[in-house]
Amino acid sequence: MPQSNGDRTHDAPGPDEPSARDGLAAALARTAGRVLRVTGAGAGSALPGLVVERASPGYLRRRAAALTDGIVAVSGTNGKTTTASMLRAILRAEGIATVGNESGSNLKRGIASAMLDAPDAAHLGVLEIDEAALPALVPELRPRLVVLTNVFRDQLDRYGETETVANLLAAALRRLPSGAAVVANADDPLLWNAAREFGAVGFGLEPIAGAVGERADAEPETCPRCGARLEYLGRTIAHLGQVRCPACSWASTAPEFRGRVERQDGVSAITVEISGHEVALRLGGVHNAYNAVAAVAAASLLGVPVPRAAEALRSFAPRFGRAEEVRLDDRPAWILLMKNPAGAGVVIDEVVADPRIGAVVVAVSDNVADGRDISWIWDADFERLSAAGAPLVPAGRRAADVAVRLRYAGATPLPAQADPLAAMRSAMAACAPPSGVGVLATYTAMLDLRASLTRSRRGRLEDAAR
Amino acid sequence: MTANLTLAHLYPDLMRTYGDRGNVMALASRARWRGIDVDVVGVTRAERIPAGADLVLIGGGTDRAQETIGEDLRGRREELRDLSGAGTVVVGICGGYQFLGHRYVDADGVAIEGLGLLDVTTVAGQPRIIGNVRAAATFGGRSFELFGFENHGGRTTLGSGATPLATVGRGQGNNGRDRTEGAVQGSIVGTYLHGPVLPTNPAFADALLARALAAPGRPDAALAELDDRLEDEAHRLARARKR
Repeated sequence: MPQSNGDRTHDAPGPDEPSARDGLAAALARTAGRVLRVTGAGAGSALPGLVVERASPGYLRRRAAALTDGIVAVSGTNGKTTTASMLRAILRAEGIATVGNESGSNLKRGIASAMLDAPDAAHLGVLEIDEAALPALVPELRPRLVVLTNVFRDQLDRYGETETVANLLAAALRRLPSGAAVVANADDPLLWNAAREFGAVGFGLEPIAGAVGERADAEPETCPRCGARLEYLGRTIAHLGQVRCPACSWASTAPEFRGRVERQDGVSAITVEISGHEVALRLGGVHNAYNAVAAVAAASLLGVPVPRAAEALRSFAPRFGRAEEVRLDDRPAWILLMKNPAGAGVVIDEVVADPRIGAVVVAVSDNVADGRDISWIWDADFERLSAAGAPLVPAGRRAADVAVRLRYAGATPLPAQADPLAAMRSAMAACAPPSGVGVLATYTAMLDLRASLTRSRRGRLEDAAR
Repeated sequence: MTANLTLAHLYPDLMRTYGDRGNVMALASRARWRGIDVDVVGVTRAERIPAGADLVLIGGGTDRAQETIGEDLRGRREELRDLSGAGTVVVGICGGYQFLGHRYVDADGVAIEGLGLLDVTTVAGQPRIIGNVRAAATFGGRSFELFGFENHGGRTTLGSGATPLATVGRGQGNNGRDRTEGAVQGSIVGTYLHGPVLPTNPAFADALLARALAAPGRPDAALAELDDRLEDEAHRLARARKR
């Protein structure tokens, strides 16, 4: 766990004064980003931020202070990108321009890059922030609102354990300026225990019939205060739900914003009712119902009435590997990001329930951004995927290990394919049109696949397809 | 079905953060694929390990989970000593491995007592040892290659009563100094490797099964060959990886 050191200030011109160097530094940094994009060396989303902070230390702090309507920070394990994206869509519908880091580059340098690219008309920031980076960034950004999605085990080699992450988030909340608001998932006992001390406004979902707990992908279900086994009064997904502790009487509290899942329909749709307003989302999965309620709750605290916020989400389109529809050889595929056991569990549920999906690619890589330890794939419920009977193609840098995992899940996987397009074509060959392919991919496996689709004349990303 | 095999998984509700479910699956499936009838029993706090257990597996958990189960586990000293004395194979992985030793000395110098079943001692250290491991192992008269991932702060040193499970070629192993990884003492085995280590390294899983099935008073069951081409391919690629 990198030691955070957010209290340190070493700004030459005084913390919030625009520096004369900022303009020059920003020009330099933007040029660096353009060079990077033109030369194809990278998407150029983080480097400009690094350059501008080097050239003009304190740039981010000053630029944040200059946003007159303040900053909303979205953090937590799963759902950061989608929740922030939904909130921006709601605000956009209200005619409010925002600064955001939508490519998911959520460390300090990525956020500084987003500030560089911000339109002049934007006076409000909606930023997703890496949970380990949040404590150091709160004093720099001084957010008016923090939205905390959930805490799941994720990349243990990078973030540490769930309790460590909950402590990091609490440390971040402790550093908030006075008057700042907190919105947190009240169905996540570990997170809610940490957040409600700070007067957090809760969001959650009503229990879902048939949801089962203690699956292999769930976190240990122990009381955040005393460690006894929790009693579940109702569940939604993984360890999320309403609980009470039989030993010390710690219990969930009813959230101010509660949604109810009305219908689920594969990877591309879920209908959720939020405070009496039905929202038919164009992306599936109970986790996205949580993201929608979180976004509506945050928007409400920013002054957007719930009915208007709910209405704005109807046209929200999935993107960037979150149930994103792509095409290869004129056949459809849906990319679903999986980062950890619980996240994999919900996307497996969606894929299994989607009649359009005839075969599935399981792509696992082990770069730093994926988590180098891939042991977690053994805690993900690939047994349910295997039981569905669709042909499975192992892919990614660790395709061979995925094949072993699928063997133990009871499947006979097709040959492992290191190349993402070869993996998709193998899956497409294993199912007849009009069926398409589901792609479960870790973060860099997803990036590799999108990059390959962009390069291939036979491939199309969603933006191009519409 | 031929011989029966009972596999006890300790604290499946709490010590399951690092894919240890995969270790249980590897042992159970690789026995079942050979026609051996397997009983997997989860044993949590205040429950007894079945008297006839052939294999006991203790995985790793979060620091908090390990605190939560610490007292209960320390209460099992006699139970585990008796079982291993009768030939039961006891496997500790990562946190479970540290618990099998004499003690764990934390960053403040406070010693947390272990089970004392393995002659090893662990002292907290910085930085954490994190990364891929390749090692050459020997157990139960079988030699095999091990691949896995290590992620531990503790530095473990072996006493004269224990022998290393493996020698690391890549990675740091027990303590980053002496190239050893894991420990073996009779039928008790500890390792730091995630992966999970057993499905990733079928030869290790089979060596544990062979040892468990060879316990005194058991009908001898030879382990038939299995088709491990997928695992062999994963090993071939792991060998070729740079880091």
